[in-house]
Amino acid sequence: MTKHSGAYKIRSILSWYIGYRVAADVLFAAAFAILIASIFSFFTVFGLLIFLVALTLLMIWHRVWQVSELAISTYLNRHYIQLEESGHLFIKPEGELNFLEHLQLSKIEPELSLIPVQQKQFMKPFFWGVAALLLAVFLSGHLMGIGSNGILTHYKTNFTKANTKPGVVEKVLPQISAVGVTITPPSYTGKAAHQQDKFSILIEEGGMIAWKITTNIAVKQVSILFNDKETIALKSLNNEQTSWKAQKQITRPGFYQVSIDGKLSDLYQVQIIKDLPPVIRIKTPKQYTYIDAGEAPKVNIEAAVNDDYGVSKAQLIATVAKGSGEAVKFKEYKLDFAASFNRHQAQYNLQKLIKLSALNMEPGDELYFYIQAIDTHQQQSRTDVYTVSIQDTAQLLSMDGVLSGVNQKPEFFRSERQIILDSEKLLKEKDSISVEQFKSRSNDLGTDQKLLRLRYGKFLGEESESDIGGDENDAVSDVKNYGNAAVILDKYTDKHDNAEDAGFFDPELKAQLKATLTEMWRAELQLRLYKPQDALPFEYKALRLLKDLQQKSRIYVAKTSYNAPPLKLDKRLSGDLSKINQQVNQQDIKPAKDGQADLKKAVIILQHLKLSADLNDQDRYTLTSANQQLSVKASAEPGVYLTALSAMRRIMSAKNKVQAQDISVVEKAIQKTLVSAKKTPFATQNPADMGLSQEYFKNLNHLNR
Amino acid sequence: MNWNSLVVIVCVMVAALAVWKEYVRPDKANFILRISAVLLAVIALACIAIPLTYNADVLQSGKQEAILLTPGFNADSLNKYNNSRLFTIDNTIKSDKVKWLSSVNELTSDSTITSLRILGDGLNEDQLQQLNHLPVVFKPEELKQGITAISWNEKLKAGDELIVQGSFKNSSTKKVKLLLRGLSTSLDSVIVEPNSSADIHLKNAPKISGRAVFDLLTIAGNDTLEKEDIPIQIEPSKPLNVLLLTSSPDFESRFLKNWLSESGFGVAVRSAISKGKISTEFINQPKVSLDHLSAQVLSKFDVLISDLAVLKSLKGQEAAALKSEVTQNGLGIITKPDSTLRSDSWLQSSFATGRLQGRDTIPSFILVTGNDQKLGKLSNSLVDVKFQTGSQPLIHDEHNHILASSILSGSGKVIFMTLNSTFNWVLSGNKNNYTALWSLLINKTARKVPGTERWNVSTAIPTVSSPVSLQAQGTVSKVQLVGKVTLSPQQNPLLPFENKYTYWPQNAGWHSIKMNNGSLNWWYVYHQQDWKSLRILKKQTDTKSYIAKNAIMNNVTKQIQKKARNTVPKIYFYVLLLITSTFLWAEAKLSQAVSSSIKQEVKNNLKI
Repeated sequence: MTKHSGAYKIRSILSWYIGYRVAADVLFAAAFAILIASIFSFFTVFGLLIFLVALTLLMIWHRVWQVSELAISTYLNRHYIQLEESGHLFIKPEGELNFLEHLQLSKIEPELSLIPVQQKQFMKPFFWGVAALLLAVFLSGHLMGIGSNGILTHYKTNFTKANTKPGVVEKVLPQISAVGVTITPPSYTGKAAHQQDKFSILIEEGGMIAWKITTNIAVKQVSILFNDKETIALKSLNNEQTSWKAQKQITRPGFYQVSIDGKLSDLYQVQIIKDLPPVIRIKTPKQYTYIDAGEAPKVNIEAAVNDDYGVSKAQLIATVAKGSGEAVKFKEYKLDFAASFNRHQAQYNLQKLIKLSALNMEPGDELYFYIQAIDTHQQQSRTDVYTVSIQDTAQLLSMDGVLSGVNQKPEFFRSERQIILDSEKLLKEKDSISVEQFKSRSNDLGTDQKLLRLRYGKFLGEESESDIGGDENDAVSDVKNYGNAAVILDKYTDKHDNAEDAGFFDPELKAQLKATLTEMWRAELQLRLYKPQDALPFEYKALRLLKDLQQKSRIYVAKTSYNAPPLKLDKRLSGDLSKINQQVNQQDIKPAKDGQADLKKAVIILQHLKLSADLNDQDRYTLTSANQQLSVKASAEPGVYLTALSAMRRIMSAKNKVQAQDISVVEKAIQKTLVSAKKTPFATQNPADMGLSQEYFKNLNHLNR
Repeated sequence: MNWNSLVVIVCVMVAALAVWKEYVRPDKANFILRISAVLLAVIALACIAIPLTYNADVLQSGKQEAILLTPGFNADSLNKYNNSRLFTIDNTIKSDKVKWLSSVNELTSDSTITSLRILGDGLNEDQLQQLNHLPVVFKPEELKQGITAISWNEKLKAGDELIVQGSFKNSSTKKVKLLLRGLSTSLDSVIVEPNSSADIHLKNAPKISGRAVFDLLTIAGNDTLEKEDIPIQIEPSKPLNVLLLTSSPDFESRFLKNWLSESGFGVAVRSAISKGKISTEFINQPKVSLDHLSAQVLSKFDVLISDLAVLKSLKGQEAAALKSEVTQNGLGIITKPDSTLRSDSWLQSSFATGRLQGRDTIPSFILVTGNDQKLGKLSNSLVDVKFQTGSQPLIHDEHNHILASSILSGSGKVIFMTLNSTFNWVLSGNKNNYTALWSLLINKTARKVPGTERWNVSTAIPTVSSPVSLQAQGTVSKVQLVGKVTLSPQQNPLLPFENKYTYWPQNAGWHSIKMNNGSLNWWYVYHQQDWKSLRILKKQTDTKSYIAKNAIMNNVTKQIQKKARNTVPKIYFYVLLLITSTFLWAEAKLSQAVSSSIKQEVKNNLKI
């Protein structure tokens, strides 16, 4: 029986330990979850999730379920000497105990009953947990205090909300007990309506504002005065006349006042977020694209369209110009992009491949295109016009210039042209001839290209390949030349940059010649690979460069000018002008009236107000007029001018001394409003000396004479 | 029992005790020396307690020096003048020791005062005048921090720049920022480095018209040290009448005409369109025949802008009329040279031009002489004006070619200008540069308006409750009204058209005088605490110049012999006391050492 009580005690200690441990883990997890949730402003569900994850991790770490009674007895042995290192005996089944153990057990049993079930040691983590939770609650409360939700959102709301200017507290009429402003953004924004309890409003252009004002006493009439002009009467919702409602669509920024039974409130601003037109950026092609002959006649258009709310449509508008001179014809195409704009996303990446042949474009034609995009607010924007033109090969291949000009090296040019013609012919006949034939003809063309290249290479002093025509003339292999060092030397020395070969052209010409040779190399490569189609662009380029070269080496002589017949000088300027009237004009241009004169005068009055408070009627009139101008400004930019406007009203209604703070606010606004004064010349004044200096000057003149 | 006898009695007792002690002392080695040292120590002690004085003959100038304390004096420096009589005229300084006087007059009326030492910042001009040549000694303290000089153009025309210039002394270890503020908006600022004094230059073109008070703030860190008022008046400029003569209709004159007429100026344009045919245009002007330029026609205009070719082609009467209108009546001419570089025409003889070549003909930036700010680029004409003595260059390009220059011609002015494509600025939207250039040229040449009345405030800083002297020139009615106060004139004995008025303003702010033509002439009165540093400097220089003026009087004062009672400085007695005490202490130590060594010897001897 007693044996049982000892084991029972150990078990209860164990259960207490587990209890404390688990409780501590729960507390720690909760503290962690609260802290994280408050920093990132998550909702309760998410906080709960964090809590569960944290709790699981802590439990796994501590492994409470693995703690055995043996561990507890070891713990007791370690902490209580009176157990005499025999705590484990309590756990042992009675039957297994030997005699000595029985004796020992009966000795320490009373000691065990003195040991408290709740060990202080076990409570420690629990208390730490409580402390951590308190700290977390305190911190999160502090964090929540900064913003409405959390730190991160705090900064966000600063930008988005109109009335989060720190320190600016709205002054509300005393009759108002509550206000609810429902802001419904226009449909193009795709945003949901939201509510606020402040009068200052930030709203998307075209949105709807609904006010619901609750008064603490029954009032006769509530209205809203917009920009000092427009009045909206609020409708009473209940019989006690304490709940009022009105709504208005907002298209312009401005300010308003709430009037309750004729008593006007402070000024509240209405700021507008303008919808921006979509922004289109064309990534490819470049503003001006030139498609060389032989290149694939297609353009890949890639563009990105952005809008602040959503793009509803984007289109490619292309115009093809055909012909030249007066016979130009235009044809317009409207091409849609593959992307669907049904979802009105804020960003689209568009791509379109235009095959120029599909637009019936031929060499020499030009394609002009631009992209047009419309956003959900039906605002349109378009890009610059981009141009794609296809090279006109007809002009390049014509022999006009070559034939009529000085015929310097016609055979060279003709052969490059010939290669192009042959390549095109080969391509045309490709389907009607066998593959072998095609390949051999392509290879032959390659050989022709090589020969041409070598000929031009000579002009640059490049090494000539003497084995073009075979090995018949190889001097080294000739038996007669055996041992003739000069012949061998001649064959194997590098003789490029030969002065005789190289000196003909100036460096610029040489560079162009080199570029021509490069194109020829490339053309040859493609021809040898049996790809005459790919070789064509290089052939054309080579031809164009060669033509340029030819033009450069020409000398032009300007045409002789037209010989005018000699002037008859006696007739010159002898025309009869008697019937020509002399023109006399007269007009009066009055300088434009200074629209800001009242503001400027108001400055003088304000400065006067700093010293004394008395104003006459004229001054009041000027201030009223300045107030109107400020009010116009404020309705356009309430964020900037509204404080000045309300300060101005305080000044005008002030009975006694005006606040210096108000004056300086108004002055600042006026300085911002005023445009720089126009500078005009003026005359200086002579000294008011009753003609003394004039007299002096005259006498001086007299002396000089 | 007074202090002295008490001290003597105590000292005698101490001396007696000390001597008795010495007498019973067993060691009699230095008896005489010790006795005398003890006595000397006691005497020195007595002399420290009782101030020892002696009479001496001193040479002293016949001054009965009084001390006048003015604001800014150093309280520590007063110790030197314990015997002198202290006066002040400042309410805040007066105390038991310092006698307050209602005015400086009271000092001069006191015949016992033959000279005055002024401590502090000094007196102002009026107070100095009341001193009535009384000799003065004045050694002011140097100003530590503040504005030491200031100046600005108080009367501006619309569009002109307000330029505030001055100097600032900063003795602190902090940077000081000077901020020009108008309409509560910061307009310009300058920073003065620590421990330096720097020139300040602040500018801004005010947008307002009429009167306004701008502020000059002195800021160190976050503290505003001083706030000074900068009153300005901006007057609208009156439109002028301009006559344009061109040898053919051209863009330059067309744009000039448009620009001038926009501001309400009267413009008449005469341009030749064919042989013997001219086209004339009048804007804001009555029609007059411009076929012949008579003196009567020319007198209607303030400025004549023309090609030189047109002016040179004027014959006989026309040419004479033009010349006399310029030299006698002050008509201004702005002319552009023709292809001849040099001629004997009276218009061109004072200007030499040179052809520009090569690099110089490339469009370059235009600068107004004396101003570093570049105007836009203009293609130069092919000639520039060579500098000659007597001419004033007005416009030049960045390679320092003079493009416009002005000379005096009698009472008028002639400007020679080689630029002929300034309209390009207007075309490119650069209207400010166009305005700046042509405003300058027309301002320089325009016929001067005859002056009838001119008012000046000759007091540097007109202040509340101190006299402000106003100076009027011209035909001014004798009695003037400021508000409701009537002022009587004091006519200048030499210049009959100059009158002086003195006014005591009651309050700060703008004050006005009604002029003959009914308009008001405004001037500003400062608060007493404004421009503190300048006032201090002014007082110091005024007082110093008063001393300089009265220096001769100072030297003449005779010197007399006088018996004076001097105090012997106590430091001697302290030193004496120290020396004697040291001797007594050292002697005791030494003799002890000697006696112990003797004892040792005796012991040793005994052992032996």
